[in-house]
Amino acid sequence: MSGIFRGKFALIAKIIFLGITTAIMALLTEHAFAQKQFVIGSFILVATLALNIVYLTKISIPFKFFLPGILFFFAFVIAPIFFTVQMSGYKYQTGNYLDKPAALEQVLILGAQPDAAGTTFDINVGKTPSNEYAILVSDITNNKYFISTKTQRTDVPKASLKFDANGVAIAAPNFTPISAIDLAKNDAYSKINYKYEGKYYIAIEGQNSGGVFRQELSYDAKTGVLTNTATGATYVDNHRGNFAKVGSPSEILNPGWRAPIWFENYSRLFSDPKIRIPLIRVFTWTFFFAGFTVLSTFGLGLLLAMALNRAMRGRRVYRSILILPYAMPSVMSILIWAGMFDSDFGAVNSILHTSVHWFQNPMLARGVVLLVNLWLGFPYFYLICSGSLQAIPNELMEAAAIDGANPRQVFRKITLPLLLQILSPLLIASFAFNFNNFNLIYLLTGGGPTQTLNGEIAGSTDILISYTYKIAFGNPNLQDFGLASAISVLIFLIVASISMYGLRRSKVMETFV
Amino acid sequence: MQKKRFGFASVIAATALVVSGLLVPSAHASNEIIVWADETRGPHLTKLIAAKGDWVPGYTIKIVTFSSYSALGDALAKATGTSGPDIFVGGNDWVVASAKTGKLAPVTLTASQKAQFTGGQLYDLSYGGKLYGVPLDINNVGMIYNTKLVPNAPKTFGDMVDFYKANKTKLGLKNGLCVTGGGLSWGGLSVFSALGADPYIMTPHGKVQTTYRFNPNVFGANMNKYLLDPVTHKSNGFWASSNTTCNDDFYTGKVPYSIIGNWEWQNYVDRGFAMNLQPVPSVTGGYGKMFGSVSGAFLTSYAALHGTAVGAKSLLVNLFASTAGQVAYEAIEGRPPAAKGAQSDPGVSDAQKGFGAAAALSSIPQIGVILGSNAGGSNYWDSSADYWTQTLINGKDAVVEARKLSKIWNADLAAVASQL
Amino acid sequence: MNKWVRENLWRHAVAIAVCIFSLFPLYLVILSSLKTTGSLQVSSFIPHEISFANYTYLFHSPKAPFLTWFRNSIVIASTVAISSVFIGAASAFAFSRLKFRGKRLGIRLLLLVQMFPAVLAISAVYVIMERVYTFAPKIGLGSQGGLILVYLGGSMGVNIWLLKGFVDSIPAELDEAAKIDGASSVQTYWLIFLPLATPVLAVVCLLSFIGTFNEFILARLFLVEMNGRTIAVGLQQFIGGQYASNWGPFAAGSILASIPIVIIFLSLQRFIVNGLTAGSVKG
Repeated sequence: MSGIFRGKFALIAKIIFLGITTAIMALLTEHAFAQKQFVIGSFILVATLALNIVYLTKISIPFKFFLPGILFFFAFVIAPIFFTVQMSGYKYQTGNYLDKPAALEQVLILGAQPDAAGTTFDINVGKTPSNEYAILVSDITNNKYFISTKTQRTDVPKASLKFDANGVAIAAPNFTPISAIDLAKNDAYSKINYKYEGKYYIAIEGQNSGGVFRQELSYDAKTGVLTNTATGATYVDNHRGNFAKVGSPSEILNPGWRAPIWFENYSRLFSDPKIRIPLIRVFTWTFFFAGFTVLSTFGLGLLLAMALNRAMRGRRVYRSILILPYAMPSVMSILIWAGMFDSDFGAVNSILHTSVHWFQNPMLARGVVLLVNLWLGFPYFYLICSGSLQAIPNELMEAAAIDGANPRQVFRKITLPLLLQILSPLLIASFAFNFNNFNLIYLLTGGGPTQTLNGEIAGSTDILISYTYKIAFGNPNLQDFGLASAISVLIFLIVASISMYGLRRSKVMETFV
Repeated sequence: MQKKRFGFASVIAATALVVSGLLVPSAHASNEIIVWADETRGPHLTKLIAAKGDWVPGYTIKIVTFSSYSALGDALAKATGTSGPDIFVGGNDWVVASAKTGKLAPVTLTASQKAQFTGGQLYDLSYGGKLYGVPLDINNVGMIYNTKLVPNAPKTFGDMVDFYKANKTKLGLKNGLCVTGGGLSWGGLSVFSALGADPYIMTPHGKVQTTYRFNPNVFGANMNKYLLDPVTHKSNGFWASSNTTCNDDFYTGKVPYSIIGNWEWQNYVDRGFAMNLQPVPSVTGGYGKMFGSVSGAFLTSYAALHGTAVGAKSLLVNLFASTAGQVAYEAIEGRPPAAKGAQSDPGVSDAQKGFGAAAALSSIPQIGVILGSNAGGSNYWDSSADYWTQTLINGKDAVVEARKLSKIWNADLAAVASQL
Repeated sequence: MNKWVRENLWRHAVAIAVCIFSLFPLYLVILSSLKTTGSLQVSSFIPHEISFANYTYLFHSPKAPFLTWFRNSIVIASTVAISSVFIGAASAFAFSRLKFRGKRLGIRLLLLVQMFPAVLAISAVYVIMERVYTFAPKIGLGSQGGLILVYLGGSMGVNIWLLKGFVDSIPAELDEAAKIDGASSVQTYWLIFLPLATPVLAVVCLLSFIGTFNEFILARLFLVEMNGRTIAVGLQQFIGGQYASNWGPFAAGSILASIPIVIIFLSLQRFIVNGLTAGSVKG
């Protein structure tokens, strides 16, 4: 047996495995660079090299264990977190999503204005004898026909043309039409501005149509100034992600771009009452929600563990039933609960013979959230507590009982403190988990009810994470990813410091880490 | 030894490279037009394309179906040029945000193509003076009544409430009215408007009348008179805004009136209901307004990056905005088509025409800039839903809440008046 | 008898009360899945009619390829569970048994990173994967392969952390003995440690499986094709509309989807309990 792992076989297996991995990753690197995905390509390249170096040499034994985990962790956890933290310093919201070059490109595209009449022509695309792209334009209303290239426009006498059934010119001398199939293969022709009159040009607006435009915005890369040639207005970078009109800075051009605004998202958390007030309310509820959930699930779990902490009839059956909520996929059970509390078709109302609107009343909705989370969470603590109870040496309790303590005193003075000491890391972990229990809120109440008529912005059951999600991805007109990122960082600081404080106090850090 | 290993590894690497070359094909070809749609439109478009795929010579069309409208919206919000669609199909309420953000590209229609649509429809798909898509179909509601329960079409809102009160016990009615089409805010506009509250109204010239303010006292009094119980101040049963089983109750004859969306009529026809459609009658004998919005097929700025811009523009014109395309599509989708040519086509069903007629009688365009405005602390969608909850369910004073509502709507309208 | 009552009655009372609490929604959902109407309305606890209409709908509706969704979920979740435990166990072993510089820092970092709210990172993950799509569509956005990669990355932290707790509870004497015999760390890992840790690995594997099975936010963005969806996305979409009538099929679907998981869970419950407590209980 051990020969397998020491001998040639292990070596060959390793090399084959590594060889295949290297090959695939090398190919991916090549593809990535070919598609100009340099960052991802470099990452895969570095990963490939690292894998080969670590597994073919003896440079570091721990890395032989860590490397695959680290690579995944870095790509899909660290990098996105880094991005989030970075974006918390940016103005990154509806209207400011692109990077600056892309935004400028769009602004210039939008700066192409059609002529006053919105003239369009039927066209056919082809080439001139000098192999230059050209369009054969049929101005049917004015009975005029011409061939345009990028640089010149030549009128063509009607007699020399061939027409289709609709009176659109399809063939002319010195013009070789290109079939639609061939055009679809290469769209270079569509990026050309074909000559029309004066400053106006014809742009391709479909396989057989062109429109008359004039580029009204022009950008001077040296000075960074955008000028509207029609009105004479100039626009400059306002350093807040938009081009703003000189002399009237509130007039901005869309789209804008993500621009660094440093700590403004953070300062808005405190200075802007429209952000601060709902945030404080949500924050308070989040704490209460997470704290209450930990207490209630732990309490019920402990009670059950105590009750079933001895050989008794039916214990196995009880146990199997009690852990059902934990075994059920929680997405399903949360949705089932949501349906059960529905005011009209829900089972709760039909059994109680009431017609309570559970999710329309803030207090009731919060109650439902807490109840459902108790249902979801107590089996975990029941399992943990019953395991831990068995781990507490019996001698301790027996000694106490001999000393004349009654069961209640034994529990309060010995069992509970010991349990709390053992379980404190798990209690803290549970708090941290529930602090960010997005699924529950999102699926059960969606954060609601929101009493908007009373000026509420956040929902009554919104916790920080679901509120953050709403800010980032909610109302499409008001998405603010930068602000949401700042709140995420804040959440992280809160949860991390509470957890660290708790773990340090419980002295788990020293033994565990 | 060490050298040998590397040599060995590189031989295997080379072989595997060849093998995996077959496993890793490159991304989609540049003459494939990608269209994103939600869970109802996606399968219908797929069916349409399967029957006829050559809408644009030289290009193939790929439909990507999302599991829900909101998943489509989420993906659109996150997509960049790398994977984004060339065209997406959605409501006009996405125009403002998507255009502002630079995800949409302008579309130019010829005069004859424009003539197929009303000015309002094109306006709905425009932002900042640029058109970003083509109108595909009309979204509106219509009120149907169960002819087995109600003999005649109601003339006023009061007729309906009176009928409900008079026949409640006799016919075993659960409620008087359902709003199943489009939810409390969108479908519920008819009820707001019938009772005297409009977020905005249009001038005869088709402009928003920016000075309009609804009277919360009159509206609140109507709420008390028609919808609320004098004792509990909650719903008197005529309309229980939260009744999630209301359409089931309508099917079984326990509710006489229902406001349904024009995409739902087939369900009702299948159950034997006649499509006797009309707008919701108002308290004064006119009609309550409904949103007559258009869904559109939008051109994204990604199409240019993918090299498919011309193909995508042609697809918009050849399929989505054409009479032939809309007739073929709506035969599967079942909504009233937006193009005039398609509306009068014999292939369009009576129900589709009925909704078109109801919209013509009493609709206002759904103007995203006003409705999505948050200047008053909330937008139309959230505040209107909350109004129904606070009054019909929570029993708050209808007039007091109406004043709060009017304050929000007025501020929202005032803030965007200059953009209209 | 009197003593039995005093000592045991409350235990049974508590157990039965909580059992009712835990069974209540499950029982109701089973009842409503057997009704013909779609709602969750239950007028009595005893079913008057039993109909399998909702179940047959699941297997025959073209709108809901239930079996395909289910298979997708199983494939994705088990691939993620097995690979992540395979990769994670090695790291956990290193953190637990090897001595190296930066170990403390590494573990703390791992713990801290867990606390960063992941919801916003979705955007970044989306952008990464749509770029990957451009050069390798099979593992990029829209593919199950891509989703598996993302899940693997996401589950790494939790699993290493969980596994480390378990590994710590396995006595170190055995692998130390192996080391004296001249075995390298890598050999100790494969020969001594892995066989010993198999039950623990199975438990973490199962927990990871359930976690992946439950995920829907990324899945609904990634798996857009009808036949590529997971059960969580598919079923959630069922009741996404405002209509009550879909609750019947939803109830039936969620029961069918839960049964295998519940069975595995219950049959492994002893290991799970031991596993869950092992990490924490070291006195």
